[in-house]
Amino acid sequence: MRIDALRGRFGVLLTLLWATGAALGADAVAGRAKAEVCAACHGADGNSTNPLVPSLAAQPPLYVYYQLLQFREQRRVDEQMTPFAAKLTDTNMKDIAAYYSAQKPLGADQPPDQARSEAGKTVAAGNHCASCHMPDFSGQKHIARIGGQQYQYLVKQLRGFKSGERPDIDGTMSSAAQPLSDQDITDVSWYLSGLR
Amino acid sequence: MVAYGPRIVLLAAASIAFVFVDATAQQPSTGATPAAASPAPAPAIPPTWAQGRKPEQEALNLSPHPPGLTALPLEEIPVDKIKVPEGFSVSVWASGIPNGRSMTFGKNGTLFVGTRFVDTVYAVVDRNGRREVKPILKGLHRPNGVAFRNGALYVAEVSRILRFDNIESSLDNPPQPVVVFDALPKDEAHGWKFMALGPDGWLYFQIGSPGNILIPPVTHAQIARVDPDRGVLETVAARVRNSVGMDFHPVTKELWFTNNGRDWMGDDAPNDTLHRVTHKGMNFGFPFCHQGDLLDDQFGKGRSCKEFDPPALKLGTHVAPLGMRFYTGQQFPPEYRNNIFIAEHGSWNRTRKLGFNVSRVVLDDHGQVVKYEPFATGFLQGESFWGRPVDVQVAPDGALLVSDDVAGAIYRIAYRR
Repeated sequence: MRIDALRGRFGVLLTLLWATGAALGADAVAGRAKAEVCAACHGADGNSTNPLVPSLAAQPPLYVYYQLLQFREQRRVDEQMTPFAAKLTDTNMKDIAAYYSAQKPLGADQPPDQARSEAGKTVAAGNHCASCHMPDFSGQKHIARIGGQQYQYLVKQLRGFKSGERPDIDGTMSSAAQPLSDQDITDVSWYLSGLR
Repeated sequence: MVAYGPRIVLLAAASIAFVFVDATAQQPSTGATPAAASPAPAPAIPPTWAQGRKPEQEALNLSPHPPGLTALPLEEIPVDKIKVPEGFSVSVWASGIPNGRSMTFGKNGTLFVGTRFVDTVYAVVDRNGRREVKPILKGLHRPNGVAFRNGALYVAEVSRILRFDNIESSLDNPPQPVVVFDALPKDEAHGWKFMALGPDGWLYFQIGSPGNILIPPVTHAQIARVDPDRGVLETVAARVRNSVGMDFHPVTKELWFTNNGRDWMGDDAPNDTLHRVTHKGMNFGFPFCHQGDLLDDQFGKGRSCKEFDPPALKLGTHVAPLGMRFYTGQQFPPEYRNNIFIAEHGSWNRTRKLGFNVSRVVLDDHGQVVKYEPFATGFLQGESFWGRPVDVQVAPDGALLVSDDVAGAIYRIAYRR
């Protein structure tokens, strides 16, 4: 079973995620119904097929909860998301986050390009992305799963972190994005997007 | 080994200067076909918290706790878990304050509360025994530092100090800020400020090290002060890694401050520390020497801790001492007069958690520490924490207020009433 395989490799991490979910007091079953409105863009199971919309399947629950909070409090602004988040209570956010965290990630539909992936892998290693996003880029705590994420979405976020247009909670990503060239950004996004 | 040292130092300093000091600079494009003469791009450095981590420490799976961005509903705050000495009692004084951190009182009794992650400054107003929490300022960049002087609220962002005049009479419609100082470094790493008003009328704050362990630029890793009338900046004490709490002794007027030690030297090293500033020009040793007697495992080579001023007290490893105040109230028993209370946010870089409490330091008449003990505990239950103390503040009635940026609440510790 997938969970068991994960537990073997990332036992401590998984315990942490579960502890986080439990601490949130969230209800994934209730979250399924509450997330119906999200499905049109993010996919029914949180696997987006829209290049500019992020996949939410298997995201750490605290990541989804905190980003919804950022949208509601208008510390992160997006034409599509802001009106939805404005109406959400904390409980609804936690339930939605719990639902998506329990979905199976299918990865992005990324055509293979070995050279770009290799270049992007080098950028990821040189910029220590795994320090926070974890060695398999599955995210942790309040930090996003970026492996298998939509390519165009990743590029947009990284450009936004670099320019300051995309605020981040603690400044880590704005700092991390400063040394990246636009070539680095597209390469690393290509690499991450292609991960399963 | 000796010949290797300086090279490491130079490399580290160069990358710091590039990434942090001049964060707005654009790196030359590293496109697919760089010109042969192009210098190699500066190596990126890990996120602040991971700097200095040894490869074998990665398996520990330690990383900072998620920031507190929310507030527990009043009925869900387990305030009965907070344990205090006999004769004291604890209650929730105010709730619904997401990420509430540093506190300062206005002249008319308004409590101002700064934040690190939610761009907000709150005012807590007492209305007939009920506290009303108002977000009064929004859209600020990590407005962690707050101080009150001559009717004005001063707010320290990462790189600016702002002044809001006549704030207590305009809580519902605050004035546009006056920029008091805007030339502080813009580094995010340890860039949020704790700020305190000195008895000399200057505003005191830290400029933190822009990373866990590195040779900081001379502009960083210090306690600094600004004359709010003239906008003059001075260094108060040098080579301080990151202080997020300071106060002035009620009798001697000397500055005391807490300091957060480096990470990734193990569970039991180094200690976080309490410092006393007795004269100008003091140097507390970062990054060469920690806790007054422990050379850094990388930057300590060829140095001696005797070069530097020692701390007044070791507080424990990774306990994260943040806000501190001298107890100047009349409510607590006489032996508490001029004690120091310290809010310990609690450890992340340690396999067994430590801190997560409010501690008490007793000094003798010469300013020597005679006792250090826990005062309010219970935020940590086993290895799980439900709250994290950030700052302490003596209320006008002599009770002690404690802010908690995870529960989003302020507690009141009172004696016999």
